[in-house]
Formats: sequence, C-alpha cells, structure tokens
Amino acid sequence: MGSDSGWKRVLRGVLLTIVALFFLFPIFWVFLMSFQTNETILRIPPSIVFEPTLQNYVALISGKLVSNAGVLEIAFMKNLGNSLILSVVSVALSLLLGVPAAYAFARFKFRLGEDIAFTLLSFRFAPPLLVLLPLALYFQSMGLIDTYFGLIWVYQLITLPLILWIVRGYFEDISEDIEYAYRVDGNSWLRTFLKISVPLARPGIAAAMLLAFIFAWNNFVFALILASADKQPVTVGALAFVTASGIQYGQIAASIVLSVTPTLLLALYAQRYLVEGLSLGAVKG
Amino acid sequence: MSAAAKRPFMRLALPYILSLPALLVCIGILIPFGTAVYYSMQRYNLAFPMGRGFIWFENYQAFLTDPAFWNTIRVSLLYTFLTVTFELLLGLGVALLLQRRTLMNNVLSIMLMLPLMIAPAIAALMWKLMTNPNFGILSYLVGLAGLEDFKWASDPGTALFTVVLVDVWVYTPFMMILLLAGLRALPRQPFEAAELDGVPSSFVFFRITLPMLTPYILTAVLFRMLESIQQFDIIYAMTQGGPGDTLMVFQVQAYLERYQYTNVGRSAALLMVLWAITFILSNIFVKQWLRLRERARGV
Amino acid sequence: MSYLELHGVAKRFGKETVLEGLDLAVEQGERLVVFGPSGSGKTVMLRLIAGLNDVDEGTIRIGDREVTFEAPERRGLGMAFQNFALYPHMSAFDNIASPLRARGESMTEIRRRVTEVADLLKIGHVLEHQPKALSNGQKQRTSLARALAPKPPLLLLDDPLRNVDAKLRYEMRLELPRVLRQAAATVLYVTQDYKEAMALGDRVAVLDRHRVSQIDVPDTIYARPATPAIARLFGDPTINILERRLEGGRFDLFGQDLDIPGAGSGERLLGIRPEHIEVSMEPSAGSIPVVLDAVTPLNVRAVLLLKTRDGHELLASCSEEEAARFPRGHKDVHATIDPARIHLFDPGSGRRLDASGQRLDGGAEHG
Repeated sequence: MGSDSGWKRVLRGVLLTIVALFFLFPIFWVFLMSFQTNETILRIPPSIVFEPTLQNYVALISGKLVSNAGVLEIAFMKNLGNSLILSVVSVALSLLLGVPAAYAFARFKFRLGEDIAFTLLSFRFAPPLLVLLPLALYFQSMGLIDTYFGLIWVYQLITLPLILWIVRGYFEDISEDIEYAYRVDGNSWLRTFLKISVPLARPGIAAAMLLAFIFAWNNFVFALILASADKQPVTVGALAFVTASGIQYGQIAASIVLSVTPTLLLALYAQRYLVEGLSLGAVKG
Repeated sequence: MSAAAKRPFMRLALPYILSLPALLVCIGILIPFGTAVYYSMQRYNLAFPMGRGFIWFENYQAFLTDPAFWNTIRVSLLYTFLTVTFELLLGLGVALLLQRRTLMNNVLSIMLMLPLMIAPAIAALMWKLMTNPNFGILSYLVGLAGLEDFKWASDPGTALFTVVLVDVWVYTPFMMILLLAGLRALPRQPFEAAELDGVPSSFVFFRITLPMLTPYILTAVLFRMLESIQQFDIIYAMTQGGPGDTLMVFQVQAYLERYQYTNVGRSAALLMVLWAITFILSNIFVKQWLRLRERARGV
Repeated sequence: MSYLELHGVAKRFGKETVLEGLDLAVEQGERLVVFGPSGSGKTVMLRLIAGLNDVDEGTIRIGDREVTFEAPERRGLGMAFQNFALYPHMSAFDNIASPLRARGESMTEIRRRVTEVADLLKIGHVLEHQPKALSNGQKQRTSLARALAPKPPLLLLDDPLRNVDAKLRYEMRLELPRVLRQAAATVLYVTQDYKEAMALGDRVAVLDRHRVSQIDVPDTIYARPATPAIARLFGDPTINILERRLEGGRFDLFGQDLDIPGAGSGERLLGIRPEHIEVSMEPSAGSIPVVLDAVTPLNVRAVLLLKTRDGHELLASCSEEEAARFPRGHKDVHATIDPARIHLFDPGSGRRLDASGQRLDGGAEHG
C-alpha cells in the first residue's frame, strides 16, 4: 500500500473532496445563511458574497422578531436553556446512578445485574413511542407532564443505558488486584471506588458522558410528546419556530446554528473520546 | 463456630444497593411497556371514551386487511433497506479512503463526523432550507442541471429519495467511524504477505479485507437497521409522513394515529408490531456486538 | 496459639472446589512458604487471609482476633501481588505511600518511611516515575516496597518473583531473606518454584488437593515427602516413581532382587531420587544394566536419562565431573540403587509409609 501511483492519488483526492463537500457543505451553507438578511438569501443566483449581518442572532437572543407584520415573540433562547438544563441534569443524574451500577455489574457477577443490564439495553433499541405513549397518559395523571422533573426522569432512558454499558466495559478492564491492593493498604470500599476505580475508568466515563450529552441534546421525540413550548428543548423548539416564523429564513438558519453549535464544539473538542464511544467499544484507544 | 463468623450484611447487599436506581429505571420502563401491551388489545379511542373495551387481538387482526398498515410495512422496510445500503456502501468507501493514518485523514475523519453530532430533526430542517423551492441552494443547483421543477420532499415521487438523502447524510459517519476503527484494527501480516506476493488489490479487498471486516460490518449494519426501521425525527420534521402516505413509517404512523386520530389502541398495536421486529433485530445485534467487543478487548 | 490460624477453611467458585477442610497454623515471626502446583489454591488462600474473598466454611484468626469476615482494610496486613497491582495513575512514591496515607501518618513520617524502604529495595532513584515508566524489576520492587512500608505484622507475598526474568529472580532470591528479616513480620510466601521454597522458607507448607498435605522444614520435605505428588514437586530432576509389589520387604527392581527391611508386603509406590541412582561403567553387586540414552548438563549437575531392559525410563543425576566420565556415545552403563533411600508410598491413600522405620507396613495415617 506504500506506493500509490499518481492517478490513484489524484482519484483519491477527488473522491475525498466530493465526500467532504457532501458532508460539510450543508453545515457551511446554513452557517452562511444565518448571517444574511432575507433579501440576500432570496437572491438568484445564490452567492457566497454578501454583507454579513448579526440581525438574525440579535432577534433570536433578544427574543423579539421585528418584521413588517409586527413584533413576534420568540421563545428560542428559552428552548436553548431548556436543552441545556435537560441534557446537563439528565447526564449528571445518569452518571450518579449509572456509574455505581455499572461498577456493580462489572464486578459482582449477579443474576439481577445481568437482567437489568440487558433489559435496559434491549429497551434502548425498542421504539421510544411504545414507552412514551402510555407514559404520557401516566404523566398526565401524575402531574409530571411538561415538568423538568418528568422529562429528566424519562431522559434516563437515553442516557442511563449508554453510561451503564460503556462504563461497565471499562470497569471490567481494571484489574481486580489493583482495587484489592488499595483495600489491603487500609482503604474502605467506597474510598477504593472513588480513588482507584473511577479514576481508572475515566476515559470510559468521559466517552459515555459526552455521548450521553449529545444524545440527550439531540433528542426530539421525548419532548415532542411530553413537553409544551415552555419546557421544549431546541430540537422541538426549532421546528415550532419554523412553523411560526414562516419566511424568516435568516432567523431559522441562525436558530439552527445555535442549536447545533454546542454538540459540534463538544465533538471537536473531545473527538478522541467520542470515537471510542461511537465505535461501540469495538476499539480501545 | 464462633459468633463473629457471619458474613456482614452490607457486603452481600452492596451489589443490589448499587444497582437499585438502575432497577427502578428498568421498572419505570417495564410498567409503561406492559401498559402498551394492554392498550394494544383494547378498543381505545380518546375521542370515544365510552367505546373503550378489551378486544384481544382485534387491532392486530384489523391490520391484516388494512392497506395503510401494509403501506407502513412497505415504506418502513424500503426506507430501512435504502438507507442502510447506501450508508454501508458510502461509509465503507470513505473508511477505505481514510484508512491510512495520516494527519490529513485524521482531520478529515473528525470533520466528517460532524453531521452525526447534529440532531436528526435539526438536520432535516437544514435540508429543508437547502431544498426550499424559492431560495434553496440545492433547488437552484438541480435547476441549473435542467431539473426545473424538482420538488424534493413535497413531491410524492421524490420525497422518499429526499429523506433517505438526509438520513444518509446524518448516519453515514456512524458507519464510517465503526468501519474505520475496524479497518485500523485489522492485523497487518496478511496484507504484508499479500503485497510481497504481488496479489492484485481487488483480490486483497475481496479475499482479505472484506472477510476480516465482516464482524464490524455486521455490527454496524444491524445497529443501523435497528435505528432506521424506527426513524421518526427526520421524517416527521421533514414531511410529517407526507405527502399523502408516502412516508408513513411505523413511528410516524403510530404518532399520528395517537395524536391526530386519538386512537390509542391502534397506535399501541402498531408499535407492538414494530417492537416485535426490533426485538428480534436487537437480540441478534446484541450478540454480535458483545462478540465484537470481546474480540476487541481480548487481544 | 499460633499467630495465624486457619481452621477447616473451604472455598468454592461455583461448582469448583478450590480449598476444602484446610488447616494451617503459622507462628509469629515465622517465614512460611506456601508451595503447590498451579491451580492448587495458593493464591486463593492468601486472598482469604487478606479478606479479598470470603471463605465458604471455616475460620481465620490473626493474632488474637478472629477476622474471618473482617473487611480487608481492617486486617492491617501487607500484601504483594503476583502481577504487582501498582496503581497506574500514581507515581512509585505515591504507590508506596498509599498504605501509610491510609493509616493517617504525617507527611514527614511518610517521606521517611518511603525513602527508607525504597533504599532498602534500591528503587530510591525512580520514586517519581509512573508505573508504566518502570522496568519489570522496578515494578516488582515497588510493589514489595508498598507492602513493606507500613511494617505490617503479617506480610502476604503472592509469588512476587513469578513475573520477573530469571536474572532478577535469582538476585531477588538472594536479597529477599535480608529484606524480610528487616521487616520482622510473619511472612506467608506463595511460590510454585521449589528452589524458591527451599531458599526462603523457615517452613514449607505444600498445598495439594484443596488442603495442606505436608508442612515442615524444607530439608525434611525433600528428604521425607509425605506423598508421591510432593516428592514429584520437590526436586529437579523429578523423582522416579515405580509401582511394585513387596513380599516381606522384598521386591524385584529390573531384575535385581532388593530388600527394604521391615517394609512389609503389598502394593507400593517406590520413589527414587535421581541423585540416589549411582551410575557407573562397570557392573557391581546389585547393579542394574541400563542404556544411557542422554546426558543433559544442567548447571553444576547433569541429568542422565536411563533406559532399563524392559524399556522403563529412569532419571538419574550426578555432578558434571562424574558425567564427564561417560565417553561420548557410550550406551551401556550400570545403575545402583540403595534400597534404604527409596521412598515408599501407599498407592491407595497416597501417603508415605516409612516414618524412619517407625510406621511401616500398610496403615495409612489419614483416610
């Protein structure tokens, strides 16, 4: 494989350019749109030469969309805040609950543990609506519908199995003797867990955390069914915004940019962990 | 036997205490699941609360003669087949292009991961903007190519193509990452031996690379099939199942059945059919995945 | 009462029994080597003593405390693991300091103790390194230092030389007695190398078939192995074991009529140490004609592979000089075996039969 002939290298370059264009152009284009007024967006032919404007972002952030039809209140920043609350709290809760459980499943081979792990895993792949439809009716009667509490609870369906299964694998890889040695040194079980097991599983916990955050952030259907405008994350909010704002394409683009920026930045920042998490534990970095 | 020789309760209880929260979440899933099974055997329409009653499998029997149900099956399977096939071919191709560990390839593989980080519902909105008939860059480009009146997702003839395109855009990176990881984890000796022997590269690909990569391909394909047959976000955000019933896949159909026609029983029964399919698929997948994981950790 | 006592200890993993009815008593300050073939449960026994696994039956007592189900951190002992078990995210210093920190020692005391034990083990210069930057030998010494640092009254060493190369093992075998003497602790040392057992143990406990099958000073175990299995494990080259029927102490050994006075009658297993077979060029009274198949020089001793007329293989050993007397290609030699040095075992019970002439003729000690 070491020596590629010239035309092979050219072909490879051309193919990769096409691939990169296909996958990256949409992001690039919407990014550009978000800095344009409706007039420049609607120009024919489209052009990447324009005078950039921040008015779309200003409108979104101030929450007021001024147009000739009047002033439209936008709850988009609220949605962004909701996304942040829901994702961060859900992941934090999942870590708190999931990391000890993952440790239990990895270390103490017990029947119940296996059953729980497999139930969670198998429902990770079940249609979410199947659980959501009855849950919506339950939540209604319990007063949990459209509350952060209820949503975060349900978000555990996304984040907990992920953390359990990824982190469990990492705990299994830690030599038991290392933990034993620390116990013999005179440390309690809890101290050993916190000072040895968790630090050694950190890459796994980081990967799981990152992935869980992205999945929670990107979730759509849970909030669509269980939340109203007030508690909706950006995924649902952006769709509602598109319907409400009609032809304010610049703002739509800006709202898209704002909603994808956190996950994209996270992905770029911690891509090593991400690859580990995404490849389903099939590689170890 | 001395009195002290008793195993402390805490030591026996520890695993159970640690997994208690996970157990509660499990129960929290199983109860609604049980309820869904129960609903699926009921005549249960929120609009007609009086008519509610237990009807065993009538909802399921009704499916057999219901063209909408068969349409859902057809569309879902077709969608799954098209997305997974394209994503596999494209993902494998890109993975092969990026196989060598050069700085350029590593940077590119990170960049190509980005669509996967975007919420599928948002990705659908992005493509909606780009295929907008008034100003969409893609509409403009196909217009230049002579397809003046290409309507993308709003035309029954091209709607499926359009959502498949979005799905391919979002999920191909997943295939690429897993297959790239697989490719880079392959042992080097067979390739070096083949190179020394001057074996043609097509032979190397079909007789060495592909067979050794099969476990990775299988895992990735099964995983994507599981997700694809349940696709909701992209299709709902893009077309809500339309135009007409062109894109009425399982979950979209079930969602509309519940929220537009308030027919809880039918919706639940439809989801049960989907669940049965995913249950089988996920069992195969989990076995395959665990085997792959064992292999990755074993060596 | 001994310092460390195990009574009727049993441990099973699923269906597999590892230890059963194990009794062991170790005196204070004693260095006891636990020796046994791999899979005999040596490591499991150490783990039970350390509290890393729970016994299924029996009791464990350390000092005057019963600790059977006591948490490991409250047993106050030190342990070195076969695979070193260093904390990969801590420097060598922090690894060694860990037990001292857990005991709440002051920083100055920690520094003093770590430096002291590191100097003793000659790793003072690598204390700031992370485990992955240490050589195998340094890892091994660090793990030993960690176990020694808090001066535990009881020290468990799980085959600490298993994973280091031959040269280091040799060095450490010379060095360890000094290090352990300084620790002034009761030591349990697990190994499956009989030379290590001979070199390091005040006494040796042989673990076989789920329990201690013999416990004694090293020389006695070698000279008077309790079972054929122990006889095989202890000694290199391996002891020759033959099956013979004795009639009033008399039996036939490859054509020679031998007599072990007072050995009685019945089926017996005969153990003949290779060094007790005298090989010479010329026949002598009572010698057996054999074919010399191979001579393998091994350190200062040579191993001879002999073949009797009926095709039986026997191992003999002698000094290198003696072996040099056999001309190259010379096949026909003669072996003389002193019946007095033959070990006798009961094939049924597998127990030793001659207790220096006291307990002869049948009667096995245990069932």
